[in-house]
Amino acid sequence: VTPSEGAAGCGRWSEMLESLLALGGLVLLRDSVEWEGRSFLKALIRKAALSGEQVRILGCEVSEEEFREGFDSDVNSRLVYHDLFRDPLNWSKTGEAPPGGPLGALRAMCKRTDPGPVTIAIDSLSWLLLRQPCTTVCQVLHALSHRTPCPGHSPAVEQVRVLGLLHEELHGPGPVGALSSLAQTKVTLGGTAGLDSAHIVFRRPRQRPIHQTQWFSVLPDFSLDLQEGPRLECQPHPDPYTSPVDPTTHLTFNLRLSKKEKEARDGLTLPFQFSSEKQQALLCPGQGQAASHIFYEPDAYDDLDQEDPDDDLDV
Amino acid sequence: MAAVATCGAGAGGTESMAAATSKSNVTSFQRRGPRARGTDSGGPRLVSIAGTRPSVRNGQLLVSTGLPALDQLLGGGLAVGTVLLVEEDKYSIYSPLLFKYFLAEGIINGHTLLVASAKEDPADILQELPAPLLDDSCKKEFDEDVCNKKPESDIKMKIAWRYQLSPKMEVGPVTSSRFGHYYDVSKRIPRELIETSKWHGFFLPEKMSSADKVECCSLTPGYMKLLHFIQNIIYEEGFDGSNPQKKQRNILRIGIQSLGLPLWGDDVCCSENCDSSHSLSKFLYILRGLLRTSLSACIITMPTHLIQNKAIIARVTNLSDTVVALESFVGSERETNPLYKDYHGLIHIRQIPRLNNLICDESDVKDLAFKLKRKLFTIEAEWTVRERDREKGLSFVVGSPSNDRHGRCTTLI
Repeated sequence: VTPSEGAAGCGRWSEMLESLLALGGLVLLRDSVEWEGRSFLKALIRKAALSGEQVRILGCEVSEEEFREGFDSDVNSRLVYHDLFRDPLNWSKTGEAPPGGPLGALRAMCKRTDPGPVTIAIDSLSWLLLRQPCTTVCQVLHALSHRTPCPGHSPAVEQVRVLGLLHEELHGPGPVGALSSLAQTKVTLGGTAGLDSAHIVFRRPRQRPIHQTQWFSVLPDFSLDLQEGPRLECQPHPDPYTSPVDPTTHLTFNLRLSKKEKEARDGLTLPFQFSSEKQQALLCPGQGQAASHIFYEPDAYDDLDQEDPDDDLDV
Repeated sequence: MAAVATCGAGAGGTESMAAATSKSNVTSFQRRGPRARGTDSGGPRLVSIAGTRPSVRNGQLLVSTGLPALDQLLGGGLAVGTVLLVEEDKYSIYSPLLFKYFLAEGIINGHTLLVASAKEDPADILQELPAPLLDDSCKKEFDEDVCNKKPESDIKMKIAWRYQLSPKMEVGPVTSSRFGHYYDVSKRIPRELIETSKWHGFFLPEKMSSADKVECCSLTPGYMKLLHFIQNIIYEEGFDGSNPQKKQRNILRIGIQSLGLPLWGDDVCCSENCDSSHSLSKFLYILRGLLRTSLSACIITMPTHLIQNKAIIARVTNLSDTVVALESFVGSERETNPLYKDYHGLIHIRQIPRLNNLICDESDVKDLAFKLKRKLFTIEAEWTVRERDREKGLSFVVGSPSNDRHGRCTTLI
């Protein structure tokens, strides 16, 4: 990788991460068994920490040592970790865990009054959804991402970002749909052989959503390396409406009229247009037009008797 | 009636009455009312509340929804005492617009507003209402809009189908501005109008401060609180006639945004067999009871695409009076379909109520599409796109029946 390419690559990935983090609100990372999302989450956390923000992490699925592994020391020093993995039900009663369980911990994060942008990462939302009712989780997430500014500080909107990791396969369409409707940015991880992709949907309020697909790979120090998509067929499925079939072939009528034909056509009176000529023609039928004749050949079954046929009935 | 009694209590007969009438020079049938005194509160027959008009079909009192095209489709307007349910489109881009039009119409007419939401603060919603178009400036806007569209508007349609006889949707402003106004979506409503108007806000996270999990009669606490709030406002401000109102009677416009979201505490959107499956139905039933006994009209937007159990959608539709569904083309295959390139989505009128009537006032045009232009939200019948294409000189439009459920094919002679 030449230095210029490397620099360009760096610029692009930082731009992409910044655009993900810039919108604020809830960023939903949907991963699955094949395409795990924790490394992407850690890449986002590293970016947020390096740009000087506070990062609070609610860790539920892996231990703290395992989570902090791979981050360098200055990133690690900015992370504030709330560990729910070691003792989720608070049986050891050390008094460290905040009251109210995991949601209480989240609500406590929501009440911090430090100025400056804050990033909260939830490791994972699936863990919370399996233990708490979905509606409560949604309400807490909404309260987190729309934190009303506290009266002591300036009324500027505080930038709060919530990064939530969701394992799609653990839930039905209901909770996933509910959280997607709440999220400002939705990242679905996927990919093909060897390459990871992130399909990003930005939902600004009252604007059309913007879709973007980005191919990347996560380096060991949790920085992202953007890639070009796979060279081969990642063609979108053939769009039925942009097929090059010419609809003007095999028609039973003539599309291209000559000038004379056009004039003849314009001279036609249409059946529902009532003009004075038509009125005259209807009122005086015999004028200038030959009366129309009907020719009829009587059939074998026709009875041309003018008498009333009911006379034959014996009623 | 009291006057007649006193007159006739005497010897009776026409003579005494005639004498009485000749004496006072006034008929014995006195109209009991302030008409003789000349005050302006009007007789009991002339109930004219600002922003309402009686329906031409059955005399029902109607209010405007804020979109004159939608009023026309609903048979003149929204009846007072009914619920308008708007089924949201997938990314909730266009349904907030209908919501805001309804509220803006309330502010212009001087109605009282009640805005309830679990997602956004009602004060923020009110700041983003569209600005009203005044009569002279909006005539100019429409003229330039029309001019851009049809440069050769004098060429009449020369095809055999009688499109010119079909009813046209109202595009321009009506001269009388008492019912149905036009709004400019690109501008915000002036602050003075909001400040002089009367509104009540219900923001669920503020009202549910403590984590009270008390559930009584299977209504989620959020819905219960909202119903109590609405009931209090109706009672205290006399919309149900309980407190005799000395001043002019008024309409209460209620707007509930995104009902049924998990933020309300209701899990219809989260699972198919939800615990509180009757909560939403009960809420709508009680709400309708409150509305029928008061001078109010309500708009509710609901994200029905998130509701997992289709039976609940059917119940909700039956419990509402007027149901309108928005279907936007964003993200669907129709976005690239050339048939729909001029529009942003389809609007379906799913239900119109029959109030004191055997039939409802449905419009003949069933295929409606909407488009959000820079300043205006327009609703048109789908075939008008072919009218414009014809004038631009395009030969024809073919719709293949497999892709489009209408399977329409227009040909020229």
